[in-house]
Amino acid sequence: MTALALSSSPRRRWRLPGTATGWFTGWFLVMWIGVVVLPLLIISAFSFFSMRQYQIVYDPTFATWTSLVETGRWVVVLRTIRFAVSVTFLEILVAFPFALWLAKGCRSAAVRAGVITLLTIPFFIDASSRIIVWRSILGTNGVVNNLLVGSGLIDKPLTWLLYSDFSVSFGMFGSYFPTAVFPIFLTLSLIDDDLIKASADLGASRLQTLRHVILPLAMPGIVGGIVFTFVPLMAAWIEPQLLGGGQVNLLGQSIQSALTNLNYPVAAALSTIVIAVLVLMLAALVVSLRGRFKMSSLFQSLDR
Amino acid sequence: MSTVESNDFGMSRRSFLKSAGVSVAFAGSSLGFASLGFAQETVLHAYGVTTAQMDDPSLISKATGIKLEFTPTDADIGVFMRDALANNIGETHDIMIFDGGTQDILGPQGFYAEIDETNPALDLWDRTPDFWKKSDISVYDGKTYGVPILGNCDAFAYFADAIGANPNGQDEIPYSVLYEDDRTRGRVALDRVFSQSLACMANFLKVNGRLQIEDPANLTPEQAKAVVDYAVERKKAGTFRTLHNSFEEQVQLIQNREVDVLECWEPAVKEAEKTMKDKAPVYAYAVEGGKKWGHGAYVPKQALERGNGEAIYKVLNYFLGGEFRAYQARDRSYAGPNMDLGVEYAEKSGWSPEQVEELRATDKKISRKMSNPNAFWAKPTAPHADVMEQEWQRFLSA
Repeated sequence: MTALALSSSPRRRWRLPGTATGWFTGWFLVMWIGVVVLPLLIISAFSFFSMRQYQIVYDPTFATWTSLVETGRWVVVLRTIRFAVSVTFLEILVAFPFALWLAKGCRSAAVRAGVITLLTIPFFIDASSRIIVWRSILGTNGVVNNLLVGSGLIDKPLTWLLYSDFSVSFGMFGSYFPTAVFPIFLTLSLIDDDLIKASADLGASRLQTLRHVILPLAMPGIVGGIVFTFVPLMAAWIEPQLLGGGQVNLLGQSIQSALTNLNYPVAAALSTIVIAVLVLMLAALVVSLRGRFKMSSLFQSLDR
Repeated sequence: MSTVESNDFGMSRRSFLKSAGVSVAFAGSSLGFASLGFAQETVLHAYGVTTAQMDDPSLISKATGIKLEFTPTDADIGVFMRDALANNIGETHDIMIFDGGTQDILGPQGFYAEIDETNPALDLWDRTPDFWKKSDISVYDGKTYGVPILGNCDAFAYFADAIGANPNGQDEIPYSVLYEDDRTRGRVALDRVFSQSLACMANFLKVNGRLQIEDPANLTPEQAKAVVDYAVERKKAGTFRTLHNSFEEQVQLIQNREVDVLECWEPAVKEAEKTMKDKAPVYAYAVEGGKKWGHGAYVPKQALERGNGEAIYKVLNYFLGGEFRAYQARDRSYAGPNMDLGVEYAEKSGWSPEQVEELRATDKKISRKMSNPNAFWAKPTAPHADVMEQEWQRFLSA
């Protein structure tokens, strides 16, 4: 142990770190506590106060927390978790075969570079501008409905294409697809091709190679993809705002609404819930993978 | 013990640091720069909603000799109150422009100064109608804290063909086309902001005798619950297509003809007219009136302590004058006090007869809407705003 290590003596007194790594680790921990942990604690503390005439009343109360139940904001919490889980699941389901093709199936380096670039380019554009375009495509008088009605496939426009669970999920899927693909792609790229060939030489079918060789080795990337997709989805705001049209109310919008009214305690309580959900979900992920996968291998290239 | 975060407008820590900084700067300037003595244009700093900002700010400078540097904000009451109360914006800005109602809180707390109605620079005050200067834009508890500068009565826009109305737009249309009309079911857009949608729905229920409500803009917990119960029922009946959140969304909903009726701002219709011409929707004269609102210009106490009073009152007077009125009506369809001066200005300045006639029409239109006895005044800082916001979440979550 290098950072701010405790003495192994019975008196357990603090010692200054003796190495540069120790100093940097200590400095990082102090900064992390100051910049990340402390603000989160302060946010949580604010949820136990209340507001009167746009000013905070520093009188501890559970009123904010009980109001979350009374006003149905808890439904929003459950709905947000449902969206985050289902979209993350879909992302990984599609991202894995795509990343596998990109890492192992695509033989042309130029095509691979082109695909990665194409995945990245949309993110040079502001998210709102990127998402709002879909309104003109999915709307009642949008491109899709015009094509469907014009071709005689349907009699009247499909209203569920926009301002619905479908449109929000669709928007989220597009936005977070690269964050699901890239970690998986990077891990798959690191798998030695000789291992796959050896599996085939030993008589394994493609499915067996996938199940017993590729999947276990790709697990760090899959877990990374889940984390990098699920976490931002819990706070997604633009897709439900622009494609949900008020019919799909998620946590990000609920927090925004509270802040608009300068209701810091409610915003703080909702933010606390987001953090708690994230911690619980990540803990569940770690527990469910215990014995089969080391979280530290998420950063396996660092071990080399 | 209950402790409300206090805001001492005397010598706060921030003020002290600023004073110290000013002292150091003054000492520095007296050492080396005292003799420069340039003739300087008076500069004031305004903070407020963009709708009050002139497209061409040089007009104010030419008319008053004062350069008004504008820091814009949107219509978000939370941001405005945060900047006023927590960020103490009065230390850096001389005029604040926002929806009427902020004076209810910032006036008694000593943040806004009372308007000196006898100030010689404010020579248009006496001719300004009481409808504006004694309104909820300016007055709280008998004291005048703001100068009314523009206003309108918000209702909704509709495509006449969808509800079988006369396309000349002169009919009075009931709010039921938004809530209960089978012809528009599923093709209605509401404003996502509760102070607009919830209040207008409450006013509809009040005017039609379905609920006992004193002030639709300030609903008690019981009233807010009853109105939201109704809103949820209509939502479940599939009445609403979407809730919009911005001016751009309003324009897009109109231009894509995604809905037939929508709560929106009048400039959204004006914007749509640029491309849709006579296919654009009509902005309604509502049977139930609508939501009257206005922007006021308020003076932070610190601005007067800085000795900017004379310049500030010149600008306040400009807001009551013809030039400001004419440009606001032409560019945004908004009216305000002393509209006759706007028409006079346009005539003297050589505006075309059509433009002058349009100003007269705007005046007549706003007067008609504002005089509807069913219309109610907006209250952005309603005492029950937190209850209304919480109940509105129930509607959004349903």
